[in-house]
Amino acid sequence: MKYLKVNILLLLLFCLTSFSNAQTKEEVTALKKEVMKYKPGTSTFLLRGYAHSGLEIQNDNSTFVGGSFNPIFLWRQSSKLLFESELELELEDGETIINLEYANMSYFINDYITLRLGKFLIPFGTFSERLHPRWINRLPSNPLGFTHAEQVGPSSQVGIELRGAFDVMPEREINYSIYLVNGPNLNDGSEEPEEAGKLHYDNFEDNNKNKTIGGRIGVLPLADATLEIGISGQFGTVGNSNSEYQNVKAQLYSIDLSYVKNINFLKSIIDLKTQWNKVEVDKANYIMEDGQQERYTFDNRSEAYYAQLSIKPAFVKNKIFSHLEFVGRYSKLILPTKAVWGNKKTQFAFGINYWLDWRTVIKLGYQTTSITNKKNSPTTDSFMLHWSLGF
Amino acid sequence: MKFKKNITVTYIPITILASLLISACSSSENASVRKSGAQIWGQSCVRCHNAPSPTTFSDMQWETIGQHMRIRANLTSKQAEKVVEFLKMAN
Repeated sequence: MKYLKVNILLLLLFCLTSFSNAQTKEEVTALKKEVMKYKPGTSTFLLRGYAHSGLEIQNDNSTFVGGSFNPIFLWRQSSKLLFESELELELEDGETIINLEYANMSYFINDYITLRLGKFLIPFGTFSERLHPRWINRLPSNPLGFTHAEQVGPSSQVGIELRGAFDVMPEREINYSIYLVNGPNLNDGSEEPEEAGKLHYDNFEDNNKNKTIGGRIGVLPLADATLEIGISGQFGTVGNSNSEYQNVKAQLYSIDLSYVKNINFLKSIIDLKTQWNKVEVDKANYIMEDGQQERYTFDNRSEAYYAQLSIKPAFVKNKIFSHLEFVGRYSKLILPTKAVWGNKKTQFAFGINYWLDWRTVIKLGYQTTSITNKKNSPTTDSFMLHWSLGF
Repeated sequence: MKFKKNITVTYIPITILASLLISACSSSENASVRKSGAQIWGQSCVRCHNAPSPTTFSDMQWETIGQHMRIRANLTSKQAEKVVEFLKMAN
């Protein structure tokens, strides 16, 4: 009798445990189903970008500027394929301007080679490709020759590119890019005589059968990867086909250097950036600006360069001081003096930045620009207060 | 003629580059192993901008940003993977 009671109790306990286990399993299954609803897929869409606005005072005028917004759309189709696109929305002369900065897809062929197709930022030096976004550029303005208005060298073009990086010896790296693009086109002056001989880089439909070849090699010779030296080139025909300029070619060269280092005794990070661009276009005869039959020619060589140094005392104890950054930049633009659009300019720029966090900055800048090929050497002074953020 | 010379000048570095690429592939893995994700994050990001805070984005977002920055900053796949793993661990 006693054993019977014990057996019944054990049986009851077994039933209860089994029931409880079954209930737990059901709960776990339900929970799994719920979690699976939120399981990320292999494709991901991400919106990033940057924005800026500010106030600028130039000689006797002052104006609020910017309100620009650059959304970057990233679509990660898989671990092998990425689509990226950037729009630039800004106000210019009272109008809303929308530009497609780039739109391309990248396929990762292997660890060292990536294939890119579409409109992409050209690795001609580093400024246009890596440093131009407002929250990355340490000063409120671009160096001379690196602006849309006076551009010496390409910023973005349509074509195909192979790029990547690899180590050549322990902890020394090389990165590279080789591309084939539509290339710039030559303004032959037939419609705009004042711009005869000028290269236009927004050539998104080619003006001839020739494709422009280019590339950049970047070397990081130090083990701590603080120094990068790059050499870039771009070569191609720029004249319109079936015109007297169809054989006019352009050769573009660039050298860039970057050195970023923590200096312990200064408790600061120093950042040195420099780039030199040169554009050579074959000689050609252009129509005079006043519409006369007479032709003229000139040595069509343009140069632009800058050197910039910034110091950020990020490791000092004072919280306000540690968020500050001090910047100085010298830049020069040399356009062919015998061209209608010829010019020589020199600019000194200085700035103090306050970083609210790693991607939000308030920039206070002063720059003085002088036109050096004119007798009176007119000077333009500007004060700028900008707020920029990346997101 | 001048143009042909320039093209030749372009092809020479490309050929050197291709040779280096082939010879370097075997040593690349060993070299990449030496640096941690945190080291690469501290060295590569600051060449252009401040090093990003790991807490800014989620794991999935870092995966996508890792791919984007692998292209933009010309990182090797090993470097990009290590940085993303570090950011995912630290966020």
